[in-house]
Amino acid sequence: MLWYKAWLETRSRFLTSLATLIIFCSLFVHHALYISCLNTFPCPEEVRHSEWRSEFHFLLFVNQQYVVIMWILAVVLLGMGGLVREKALGTSSLTLTLPVSRVRLMLVRAAMGVFQAIVLGVLPWLAVLVISLRANVPISIKQVGSYALLLVGGGLIYFAMAVLVSSLVPGEYTAPALAFGFVLLAAMLFDNWLRRFNVWRLVTGDLSIDRNTFLLSAHLPWLGILASLSVAGVFLLASILLIETRDF
Amino acid sequence: MTDEPVIVTRGLAKSYGGAHAVRGLNLSVGRHRITAFLGRNGAGKSTTIKMLLGLVRPTAGSGTVLGKEITDAVQNREMRRRVAYVAEDKSLYGYMTVAQTIAFARSFYSDWRIAMEKKLLLDSELPANRKVRSLSKGMRTKLALLLAFARRPDLLILDEPSEGLDPVGIEYLLRMLTSCSAEGVSVFFSSHQIAEVERVADHICILEKGCLLVDASVDQLRESYRRVDMVFPAPPPEHEFRISGVERIKTAGNQMSVFASSNAEAVVERAHDLSAVSIEVAPVGLRDVFLETVREN
Amino acid sequence: MFFKLNPTTGHPLYLQLMQQIRHAVETGALQDGSQLPGIRTLAEELVVSPNTIAKAYSELEHEGLLELRQGSGAFVCVKRRTRFLTDSVHVARRRIRDLIERLRDEGLLDEEIRRAFEAELLFPAEIVRKR
Repeated sequence: MLWYKAWLETRSRFLTSLATLIIFCSLFVHHALYISCLNTFPCPEEVRHSEWRSEFHFLLFVNQQYVVIMWILAVVLLGMGGLVREKALGTSSLTLTLPVSRVRLMLVRAAMGVFQAIVLGVLPWLAVLVISLRANVPISIKQVGSYALLLVGGGLIYFAMAVLVSSLVPGEYTAPALAFGFVLLAAMLFDNWLRRFNVWRLVTGDLSIDRNTFLLSAHLPWLGILASLSVAGVFLLASILLIETRDF
Repeated sequence: MTDEPVIVTRGLAKSYGGAHAVRGLNLSVGRHRITAFLGRNGAGKSTTIKMLLGLVRPTAGSGTVLGKEITDAVQNREMRRRVAYVAEDKSLYGYMTVAQTIAFARSFYSDWRIAMEKKLLLDSELPANRKVRSLSKGMRTKLALLLAFARRPDLLILDEPSEGLDPVGIEYLLRMLTSCSAEGVSVFFSSHQIAEVERVADHICILEKGCLLVDASVDQLRESYRRVDMVFPAPPPEHEFRISGVERIKTAGNQMSVFASSNAEAVVERAHDLSAVSIEVAPVGLRDVFLETVREN
Repeated sequence: MFFKLNPTTGHPLYLQLMQQIRHAVETGALQDGSQLPGIRTLAEELVVSPNTIAKAYSELEHEGLLELRQGSGAFVCVKRRTRFLTDSVHVARRRIRDLIERLRDEGLLDEEIRRAFEAELLFPAEIVRKR
């Protein structure tokens, strides 16, 4: 029942984030579309000309910028908790004396977080899809899928980083503060010196966007996503090692 | 049925920086017995228990519990399947309800007894759907103990179980311990409550500053520890009484009081030889054994 | 069956229980053939380790006072030898009663008499004989 425990621990954070993301995306896209469709749904034919189409794609791009911020916030918070925090709370002696390995405890927590991160990345875009279809706006499923994929594929590194921080720092507020600090620091550093490797630009679609049509390129940065996932894996491995060797 | 000890340690030690929490501990806890682990605060009892259960890695030495090496993660995990443990802080997850907590614990152990769980839940009057964080301290203790007593493990380890319990609760705890012991469960518990230990324990280990000072059966302690109070015609020579078994000698004028862990008869004989005016031999309760032993050190 | 074990005296609990069972047999509270409570039941009732009860029962079985039947429990069986012991205990108690009366007449307080008895009992008689 470790999954159940992980669910109970992250339930409110997850559901709050999910509601926030879905509601935001829905309202944002709905509102923008409504106005540009001259306040009628389904969107009238005369509105849907080629210029308008690139405006629509720009709208999706902007939506992703907002989604990225909220999603990273959410997954960093979801990455909090774990055995080090449990020690501060006084529950670690119960968890650690269960007949399960520390690796398993860590993996279940991480897996639950990954599933939640995926849901948080996919459902809001699904909402955008549904709203757009309802408005009879020609939205490309491929575009929506690409945004979700960039977000989750490139962004899990932030979750893994949060897990690593929470395996080092027991404080209820210091851990997330430190994790957010790293997010900002990374964004600033990479922006100045290693623009090509800036994960932020990858997840927001900045690296793959065509500045004329505001369509995501058909060739997604697979190498970038792979690299990001690999580093996420390294962070997770480091967390496991830390927990394995630590005295509780 | 094997009579191997349930817990064995060989030179087990733990240091934090310069502080030695446990030094060269050689413990041997017998099977099917109730063994009490006494010691002052900070003597190293909790650290020892944590090393046995794999929470803390020893700095030196080794040990086995139920025949499994404690320093081997896989073996330790295997062993934990058959060991029930209640920590000093009675850890529970605040966000779970009583019912969820029980279901959670139950899912990990094959030695869980559902009938026992139902009976204990009824007796304890715990509200099944209340979250643990809104339970009183006494109720939390009862729940933490329930998670252990609803099982029939090979070994039950309790760290200060009576802390947080009122006298009725303590009676209940002791009754549960004897009940478990009667069903073959080996019990190893640390405690400050000398009165309870005296009633229920078969064997005592006294730990002080990380070292094992006393390791004896309670009957043995009762039969051999004595206080001998003597009055002599003149101030008696202390060196005459420094014989084996004598732990402590106090003199005041013509009076002498000897605390002996064994061999009290020899003390009496020596007193007779020195023409003592009065000799009184009295048994020593566990509290005095404990206090004298740790004070000595 | 009312037993009371005192952990603070110098006597091991199992010896106390043995004495109390013997006393019960002497006074007739326990008849030949009556059944004693099971080890687990008595341990829970007295709140002492079951090993204490088990040891007491086992020692009494050695002496012939109890018969432990697998699965059924412990039964009193007063053999002729133990009946003889019971009688000699009666005689001894009468003698002790007389001695205590005499000591009281001499002005000793009950507390002093008790301590004197305890002191004499707590080490082997050989020491006394040596004097």
